[in-house]
Amino acid sequence: MNSLHILYQMARADFLERVRRYSFLVTLAFAVYLGYSAYSGQVVLRLGDYRGVYNTAWLSALMTLVTTTFLSLVGFYVVRNSVDRDQQTGVGRILAATPMTRLSYTAAKVASNFAVLSAMVLVLMAAAIIMQLTKGEGAVRIGALMAPFLFVVLPAMAVVAAMAILFETAPILRSGAGNIIYFFVWTALLVAPVQASLPDMAGIGAFMNSMEQTVKAIDPAWKRSFSLSLGSGDFGAAPSRTVLWQGLHWDAQMLLGRILWLGVAVGLTALAAVFFHRFDPAYERSRKRQEARDNTTVAETTQLSSAAAPVHLTPLPAQARRSRFGRLVICELRLMLKGRRWWWYAVMAGLIVASAAVADANGRAGVLAAALLWPVLVWSQLGTRENRFDTGALMFSSPEPLRKQLPAMLTAGILFTAAVAAGPAVRDLMAGDWGAIAAWTVGVLFIPTLALALGVWSGTSKTFEAIYTVWWYVGVVNHIRGLDFIGTMPPSRAPLLFFVLTLALAAAAFAGRRARLAYA
Amino acid sequence: MELQIERVGKRYSGDKWALREFSLKMGPGILGLLGPNGAGKTTLMSIIATITRPTEGTLHWNGAELAKDPNAIRTVLGYLPQDFGVYPNLNAVEFLEYLAAVKGLDATAARRRIEELLDLVNLSDVRKRPLGSYSGGMKQRIGIAQALLNDPQLLIVDEPTAGLDPEERVRFRNLLSELSGERIVILSTHIVSDVEATATDIALISQGSLVAHASPEELLGMVEGKVWEWVLPSAELPAARQSYLISNTMHRADGIHARVVAQSPPPQAAPVPPTLEDAYLFCMSRHRAGATI
Repeated sequence: MNSLHILYQMARADFLERVRRYSFLVTLAFAVYLGYSAYSGQVVLRLGDYRGVYNTAWLSALMTLVTTTFLSLVGFYVVRNSVDRDQQTGVGRILAATPMTRLSYTAAKVASNFAVLSAMVLVLMAAAIIMQLTKGEGAVRIGALMAPFLFVVLPAMAVVAAMAILFETAPILRSGAGNIIYFFVWTALLVAPVQASLPDMAGIGAFMNSMEQTVKAIDPAWKRSFSLSLGSGDFGAAPSRTVLWQGLHWDAQMLLGRILWLGVAVGLTALAAVFFHRFDPAYERSRKRQEARDNTTVAETTQLSSAAAPVHLTPLPAQARRSRFGRLVICELRLMLKGRRWWWYAVMAGLIVASAAVADANGRAGVLAAALLWPVLVWSQLGTRENRFDTGALMFSSPEPLRKQLPAMLTAGILFTAAVAAGPAVRDLMAGDWGAIAAWTVGVLFIPTLALALGVWSGTSKTFEAIYTVWWYVGVVNHIRGLDFIGTMPPSRAPLLFFVLTLALAAAAFAGRRARLAYA
Repeated sequence: MELQIERVGKRYSGDKWALREFSLKMGPGILGLLGPNGAGKTTLMSIIATITRPTEGTLHWNGAELAKDPNAIRTVLGYLPQDFGVYPNLNAVEFLEYLAAVKGLDATAARRRIEELLDLVNLSDVRKRPLGSYSGGMKQRIGIAQALLNDPQLLIVDEPTAGLDPEERVRFRNLLSELSGERIVILSTHIVSDVEATATDIALISQGSLVAHASPEELLGMVEGKVWEWVLPSAELPAARQSYLISNTMHRADGIHARVVAQSPPPQAAPVPPTLEDAYLFCMSRHRAGATI
């Protein structure tokens, strides 16, 4: 009982700390946006040319799938800061000095994550009810509406909540790379069990099979198709045919499948506890920093010179105060690239060379895509360093924080990006492919500007890491026009669109930094 | 060289004023800004350092208004905030080179200056180690070095001796005294002995208001003939605290030696020379009682 009380109090304190932050409102706003998207027909669940009659079962399934697919991605990034916050605020060390067990800590954090995600789920559930009342083609059945949320959504959110804690405690996963790795884990979680006909976290397989059987029953010639898409279109306009689907039958096997995912969440919580090191500073450092720390012991024993020794500083000549923008850019570049291991540079160099050397256009596009993912953690520092390392007071009390410091940071980002993507540019220049050069130039401007804008406004590198990874996968890897910011293939190039977007992002970055400063 | 603060106020959320109607004029020398925690010292430092914009009032540096020309002060400012971070992957030289570039210093001159500063703060031996491996005291010394990078005419140091060991603290006080000749130094602290050792002027601040602005001698003059040493049994100390302002106590064989600040002496108390700490406590207690200093 006492353990449960401790667990409850820890989870409650963490939850209250979160919901009283401005960012929680933004989180809820996203849930409202998702709900509105579904309500206004932006989210479409279809089986080829069929959609379900808008009864409780269909609308509840739609909102359930919206929640388990989109929220399982965005929600992860929203809640993945619980352990980090305890580290940053110093509360973690206080907790570590109490009898709290590692498992009770991770369990409390998972519970808090789950509560935050559930708040978002409640918004989406309310959206489902509103849809049913205003657009529905049948009476509201509360039980049928609640059941998918209860049996599908909540176990999925429990997994996401536990996954977020694991990604804050496990080595490698807890670094910025974890934000990128999760995207691929999320993709695998959605796709792999469905393909293997196993109970999947999002419940896609169960809904898909049941809906497909219903369509097959009325249209044996129907060609199998199932999609949930976020796009435009009026509610009810398309697809053209409807099917009456009465919902899932919650039998023991299905419930067992959902309980299995709850078990996964418990397992992940326990695994996170294994990796959680109670804020021991020795585990907070990378191996390189640990080596440096070992050396510090020597440094700290260095004898100080006598307190009575005279102190003297040569006055700085007036001509020494000459502002050099180029010097600042070089320093920014050094700051961006410092602290990486040798193999990081080796892989980066290899990708740059390969992206120039590969003769096949498809192959080259693939290597370029890899080269554009590898340095995500370098770009994501832009605009966030002052927050992350608490250097704002030093930087913003120096001259020209807006007119020199920010442009220097952006320039360094652009130069770095140009180097990263240099391979294909060399080939395109030699071939005189000016369309490709234009797309490349805009792409090189776009990436660091996006990073800077997101960094300045959110104050955390996580925002860029999450958004960029998804954008990169959809746009660059799949060569989708309008999303492929660097134009990896001729049909996917849209330099004008991204140039305008880059200008808007640059303006947003400057406006964001301006808002942070007392004086420009 | 002059810094003028006129009726400056800073209001945070709601109706909470961290600073109110604060006016002060400063010339070359060391101004010790003394006050209890939460008095508004850090808010005032942030306003002068252009980090925070005041809700009301104006600041002028050599006639230039801060709101219109913040770079007038930024180019000559050295600022050591109370809390600050460093970039953990850079070493001391790289970090200082970076800040020198941010402050607009020529690279060659900056390099020479950095060498001198690292010698000064005794970090030359560890100059190539990543800052992430530094102890709290070493980071504080890096903070001191960065504040002096541009040979500032206005040096603002907020709780600068926090994290320094006793020897480094004395050394830092010496450094401040040496630097103070042709520049304005604002030393914000709640450690009276730091101010006592260095300040040419003292501003006492409490609850966001200026309580007193005077030289150390003038402050000491306020409590001249008002400080007493009183020997009493330890059992009587709680009752004595109710009746008198006691600035210090020491256990001795003959009882407790209490240092009392009062207009008239307690029974059998002997007069003693006042210290700045006595003057500080006297002024603060008068301010709390609503009396004019």
